[in-house]
Amino acid sequence: MLLAFQAGTPDINLTLIAPEMIVGIAGVLVMMVDAFAHRNQRWLTGTLSIISLIAAAVSCFWLWNAWPAQRSAFNGMIVLDELRLSFTLIFLVVALLTILISSVWIETEKLPAGEFHSLLLFATTGMMLMASAGDLVIVFLGLEILSIATYVLAGFRRTDVRSNESSLKYFILGSFASAFLLYGIALIYGATATASLPGTTNIAIIATRLNQSLYPPLLLAGAAMLLVGFGFKIATAPFHVWTPDVYEGAPTPVTAFMAAGPKAAGFASFMRVFVFGFPIATAALSAGGYAHKAWVGTLAIMAVLTMTVGNVVAIAQNNVKRMLAYSSIAHAGYALVGFVAAGAATTAEERSAALSAVAFYLLAYAIMNMGAFAVVTLIARRGDQQTTVDDYNGIGFASPVLAFSLSIFLLSLFGMPLTAGFTGKLFVFSAALRQGYIWLVVIGVLNTAVSAYYYLRLIIVMFFRERTGAWEVPRIPSSLAIALLITILGVFYLGLFPGRIISVFQSRPAIAVRMR
Amino acid sequence: MQNHLLTILILLPVIGAATTVVYSLTPGSRESHYRWIALGFTTLAFLLSLLLIKGGGAFSTFVLEENYSWIGAVGARYHVGVDGISLWLVLLTTLLMPIAVLSSWTAITKRQLTYYALMLLLQSAMIGVFVSLDLLLFYLFFEASLVPMFFLIGIWGGERRIYAAVKFFIYTAVGSLLMLVGIIALYLIHQKATGIGTFDYTVLIETLKTNAGVISPRAEFWLFLAFAFAFCIKVPLWPFHTWLPDAHTEAPTAGSVILAGVLLKMGTYGLLRFNFGLFPNASRQFAPIMITLAVIGIIYGALVAMVQPDVKRLVAYSSVSHMGFVVLGLFSFTEQGMQGALYQMLNHGVSTGALFLFVGMIYERRHTRMISEFGGLARPMPWFSALFVIASLSSIGLPFLNGFVGEFLIMLGSWTSAAVNHTWIVTMLAGTGVIWAAVYMLWMLQRVVFGVKTSEANAKLLDLNAREVALVLPLLALMLFMGVYPAPFLNRSRASVVATQQLLNPNATRTPAVAAVPKPEKAQ
Repeated sequence: MLLAFQAGTPDINLTLIAPEMIVGIAGVLVMMVDAFAHRNQRWLTGTLSIISLIAAAVSCFWLWNAWPAQRSAFNGMIVLDELRLSFTLIFLVVALLTILISSVWIETEKLPAGEFHSLLLFATTGMMLMASAGDLVIVFLGLEILSIATYVLAGFRRTDVRSNESSLKYFILGSFASAFLLYGIALIYGATATASLPGTTNIAIIATRLNQSLYPPLLLAGAAMLLVGFGFKIATAPFHVWTPDVYEGAPTPVTAFMAAGPKAAGFASFMRVFVFGFPIATAALSAGGYAHKAWVGTLAIMAVLTMTVGNVVAIAQNNVKRMLAYSSIAHAGYALVGFVAAGAATTAEERSAALSAVAFYLLAYAIMNMGAFAVVTLIARRGDQQTTVDDYNGIGFASPVLAFSLSIFLLSLFGMPLTAGFTGKLFVFSAALRQGYIWLVVIGVLNTAVSAYYYLRLIIVMFFRERTGAWEVPRIPSSLAIALLITILGVFYLGLFPGRIISVFQSRPAIAVRMR
Repeated sequence: MQNHLLTILILLPVIGAATTVVYSLTPGSRESHYRWIALGFTTLAFLLSLLLIKGGGAFSTFVLEENYSWIGAVGARYHVGVDGISLWLVLLTTLLMPIAVLSSWTAITKRQLTYYALMLLLQSAMIGVFVSLDLLLFYLFFEASLVPMFFLIGIWGGERRIYAAVKFFIYTAVGSLLMLVGIIALYLIHQKATGIGTFDYTVLIETLKTNAGVISPRAEFWLFLAFAFAFCIKVPLWPFHTWLPDAHTEAPTAGSVILAGVLLKMGTYGLLRFNFGLFPNASRQFAPIMITLAVIGIIYGALVAMVQPDVKRLVAYSSVSHMGFVVLGLFSFTEQGMQGALYQMLNHGVSTGALFLFVGMIYERRHTRMISEFGGLARPMPWFSALFVIASLSSIGLPFLNGFVGEFLIMLGSWTSAAVNHTWIVTMLAGTGVIWAAVYMLWMLQRVVFGVKTSEANAKLLDLNAREVALVLPLLALMLFMGVYPAPFLNRSRASVVATQQLLNPNATRTPAVAAVPKPEKAQ
């Protein structure tokens, strides 16, 4: 016991990782239950997963309100701040919606529900670790927990060739990206070594060591490697090419999950590593100054490329899942605009505003995207058969609930006022304008106009054309109806009254306490 | 209730839309009842909106204001209010809506639930646009009005409806998205200067008025462009007008009435309210360009209207010409010109709205709008012909009808304007627009209403029924009233228009000739 109080021993603080522990343990538990439960008790694992996610959310809110004085643990491996908690919330929402959306699909495809749920919970644990990591090692650990679970999920429909292809592609390119990331971490470790101290992977310490680095080029190379690695994970152009194939081939609920969850997780650690690890330097001509300038500039260009490639290529797509995949690339581009603003921010207040704008954007994107995929899942039917644009021909008035819901999500993805998509864009674009990135915002806005074309196209097909082929109205199961209800209400709530969420995301605990 | 009148007006149609949807879920719902619900709510909204006139007095400031925090994190507020400018546009909206619903009575037979629900939602958005005093709120309504109209054109429109709907949506969206950038930039400029981030129009304008250096000339230049681009597309000013003929022609009758009657006014209203109020220096700087485009639009619109084989397209192009007049009047920066422009906005809503109704009536009977298909309608349809001729004459600008008052004031204003040199050239060129209007309108009347009967089908056409007469009569009465006695309208808008004008020319002295409310028709 005495040893624990000595300096240098791990400072263990389990309360700080309560959300991660709850979801992780629940994942194991679900696996056990699945092994022992009777065949017709399939609903059990889903319910257990949902309960664990809600419990994690509660613990998350508890951390928010309690706001312990010590905001890092495990020797700086885990940190507690607004960025982490807001992203954790996003992951929990995504996981919850995925469970709701997937329940029907698991039934019709006769897939093992327990495996699916436990993999999902493990992936969620990985994502949460990525957001709470204060150290590059934990980032990598979280990323691998997430990725391995997601590789399996992408190939979950074992008998389907497309699903296999998706899984394999994701695995190969994902490993490639992980390798980049790991190499970058190694280089950073080497570059941050000083004459008297060994290197470090702690993000906060990296920031203080930038200008003492003995090998500045190594530092820049390491940062570039990290940029490529994260760029792959969040699918920014030019590292986006895997996305459409993987998203198209993966089972639709898994695609919904991948587009919303892992992408947000990637953003969480991408932002933490770069905004906090390579912060704006007081001396522009220092190693830290060069690194900061380089990454902000590169990201601005990547944002332009990502938005433009995503939107322009989406126009040409005839497969709805593929179209939404490109749309997800484009949305990563919009979020990058806010990321650039966070990087360029000169004051802590502006930085936290920009970070919370990105978090808000990704929450909004997660909700509207999950909603859209919920409808797509239902329309796709068994085996993901009906996913081309033509399959949506004239279904508008035959299935009004589905068609109008999908229209709301599409308009929100476009960024129509009253919806979450608009407020999200408003926040990230304001953050960027505040840093003087007028050109970036104008390009973002013009891209939004381009995106109108393909989002409207689906609406046009559904409502303005007549159905030629047969159309059997799908029954909306209750779990999916709940998911639709949550997402529609979420879209309008975030669109009309975003104030509370955004201030909680960016705020100091004082405001969080007040909301009780 | 008086204090929340504007909110009630915005929400009432939404409640109406919700009512139709809820009604559709009840077991005994009938397709033919939706239109009654829509008619009830739009009529109620019109009656309530009449209270606005009573509530305002001289409308020297914003009245019936409501101001609550909306998105606290960015300082956006729910701030609504009316002054003499927005008052009439709100009334125009609430007047045209029941008429539009009535005009759809038999024309819309499929998917009535969605149709009337969208119409009601559209009304909310339109009223919201005219009463918003917070830029973000304004933007929200401005964009929100797009979606119902997109569906109205796309589902119930003519043959090329999809093309027209997409063109309409994308054109307007591009413009307004750039305005959004302008709005955020203005917010940040204000925040930098005063430390307070706000989208509130009244606060912004006060800051800009009291400390001149808040916006640099260069920033003002670009901000003006960002706002003006959105509004010029909406107006539409030549050369941004190409969406209009398609949208107007393909839209269902009620859609065309609303589009011409109200949606176009959002553009000119935006110019008057936001561009003039927030960027007076840039407005002066841009006046020559805007006036040139307006005059080109007047003549171009008229000439293109002349050669249209399709009546509806002809009326659509005449809108380009008429809205050119409005922009000309606005950018003359004189009281007469701006009052005339506001008056002409109302005139255009009433006259062109009526013309689209008439076109819709013959389309419903013959299922064609080609001028060559008609001829000699005066004999089988005397009521139709007489009323159609009156509406056309109002559109031309015949004295004693409303169009004359507006156009006369605009030209008076543009002649005395200090905004451009050689105002007589501008005025004369614009004046030819009136002549061209006479040419295309009368020629069209000659070929459609009079002339020889070209098709046997025309001989058996039924004249207007009671519903159709009832729905155009209020508009015709208004044309006559507004042409003979414009004082009630101009008196109430005067204070607000003069206030805007003074923002534009802080040093200009007002000429005594306009102190009295002009009644130019007496001079005839």
